[in-house]
Amino acid sequence: MIELKNIRKIYEANKFDRVTALDNINLTVQEGELIVLKGASGSGKSTILSLIAALSKPTSGEVIVDAKQISKLSDNFSSVYRRDNIGFIFQKYNLIPTLSVKDNILLPLVSLNPHAKEVEEKIQSVMKRFHIEHKENAIVRNLSGGEQQRVAIARAYVNNPKIIIADEPTANLDEKLSHHFIDILRELKALNKTIIIATHDPLFFGLDFVDRELEIHKGKIVL
Amino acid sequence: MKNKINIYLVEYAINAILRQKYKSLFIVTIFTLLTFLLTSVFFITNSIRYELDSTVDALPQIIVQKIKAGRHYDIDVNLVDDILGISGVNDAVARVWGYYYFENARVNFSIVGIDKYEQQYKNSFTNLVKDFDFDDINGTATMLVGSGVKRTMQSNYYKEFFNFIKPDGTLKKVRIAGIFDGDTELESNDMIIMSKDLFREIFNFEESKATDIVVKVANPEEIATVVSKIKLMFPDTRIITNHDLKVSYQNIFDYKSGVFLVLFIVALFTFFIIIYDKSSGLTSEEKREIGILKAVGWTVDDVLKEKLYESFIISFFSYIFGVGLALAYVYIFQAPLISNIFSGYSQLKTSFELPFVFDFQTLFLIFFLSVPIYIAAILIPSWKVATLEADEVIR
Repeated sequence: MIELKNIRKIYEANKFDRVTALDNINLTVQEGELIVLKGASGSGKSTILSLIAALSKPTSGEVIVDAKQISKLSDNFSSVYRRDNIGFIFQKYNLIPTLSVKDNILLPLVSLNPHAKEVEEKIQSVMKRFHIEHKENAIVRNLSGGEQQRVAIARAYVNNPKIIIADEPTANLDEKLSHHFIDILRELKALNKTIIIATHDPLFFGLDFVDRELEIHKGKIVL
Repeated sequence: MKNKINIYLVEYAINAILRQKYKSLFIVTIFTLLTFLLTSVFFITNSIRYELDSTVDALPQIIVQKIKAGRHYDIDVNLVDDILGISGVNDAVARVWGYYYFENARVNFSIVGIDKYEQQYKNSFTNLVKDFDFDDINGTATMLVGSGVKRTMQSNYYKEFFNFIKPDGTLKKVRIAGIFDGDTELESNDMIIMSKDLFREIFNFEESKATDIVVKVANPEEIATVVSKIKLMFPDTRIITNHDLKVSYQNIFDYKSGVFLVLFIVALFTFFIIIYDKSSGLTSEEKREIGILKAVGWTVDDVLKEKLYESFIISFFSYIFGVGLALAYVYIFQAPLISNIFSGYSQLKTSFELPFVFDFQTLFLIFFLSVPIYIAAILIPSWKVATLEADEVIR
């Protein structure tokens, strides 16, 4: 279970340049739940995802995941938490463009230093699941947007995380590929993953397998 | 298990080097050049210092020279008997030596005359007179030459004989009987050994005169006393001890080393500014890459280990390559250009071979001056980025 309690997040470039991204956010996400965070650009959706993934820390308030207060974790433990619990699909995929598909998918496994056989099995399995196995050795920058997204999903899934987070996952995709992503989501939901998606793409609204849709406006949950 | 080397991090590091091949190549080139230059200079100075030390050790304890109007003149050989009378003196030998300018090659040869019936003042001469007879063979005079002299003569078509031009303009044909191996290459390289009689004939040197007198003292602690006694007996002489020569050689060598050291500090500083600029100033892509690695679960330790492997591979490879090139440059190609500056040898002297002196201390010094500094220049900025919030770096 994920709990956000009285979360405030202020981005402060300097004394005179402060932006309140989140203002007193309270949110609970149950295990296996799929929620969609809706809202315009700059509303604070991505900041919520970033806090849940421990990519940043709240200015005040608590982020609790499975009874652990992750907002208080040290930098190293935050990384370990991400590695073991979070699969993050970024808006611009955040792949390393000069690496191959396989090497990008391998990245979350590197710090575990597993056996080569285990690594190979995991990578082959996720590449098959997300239909990217034929591009195993292709350099990522040479792939299409849809292929890059599948690599990003495979990388997010390779550690079999409990929580999958997707930030504007269809922002760079055409409608056909967006529908394909929704199919993948349905599949992940069936695997009982906790999924949180931030989007303003109407394709995600009213989907039968989405448990909740929340509207974020100016750093607050309004619906 | 925890301490096991993470092979995936090593693979990632190698991959990172290959992905940035132009940047890596640039750094390897600069680094190799720096290591090569530094190592070459250290190798050359070590070799020359070794030669100088050996040369100085082989010098006579005391040299007595006749001085007239502040200049070095030929000395009377009769003084030898008087010097031998001084208590503490073990031996005294009148030496004849000089320089012969060989115009074709524009070099000076050092010529030494020896007498096989005299006590020799050098070990190498003692061995020489045992094995070699300087007497004329079939009416032709003979001599032994240093390896540098041999090369110079051969390149000027004097393969078996050499014609000395005497002061009266006539020629003296002398047979080259062999190569002289002295105590050190530096000493023997430009040397020609012949009998005293032949020397006197070539230079028209009087029988009663010598170039100088070398004195051997049984107890080295008594050198100063013997020097003062000789000075009292012969006020018109200049007395040089091996200690004076050692200090003089050392001063010249240290001065040249000092000039080079200053130049190299400047060069080193410039190289590191280039390397620091090219390697440590992380580009936005490199910062983003660190942010992505953190976002997918790499710890700061993982990032730093990867950067450590990457920088170590580059710097260690460059170091080994630079040292290898320096070994070849100094000991195979005999360090063209640089060695002349250090040895102070102008074209008036024949070139000599640098002896192989392998000094681990030097290699360690260069290693610690280069590899860890480079690694630090990579790790520090990477650490700065890796300790930022991943979100901040990716954004």
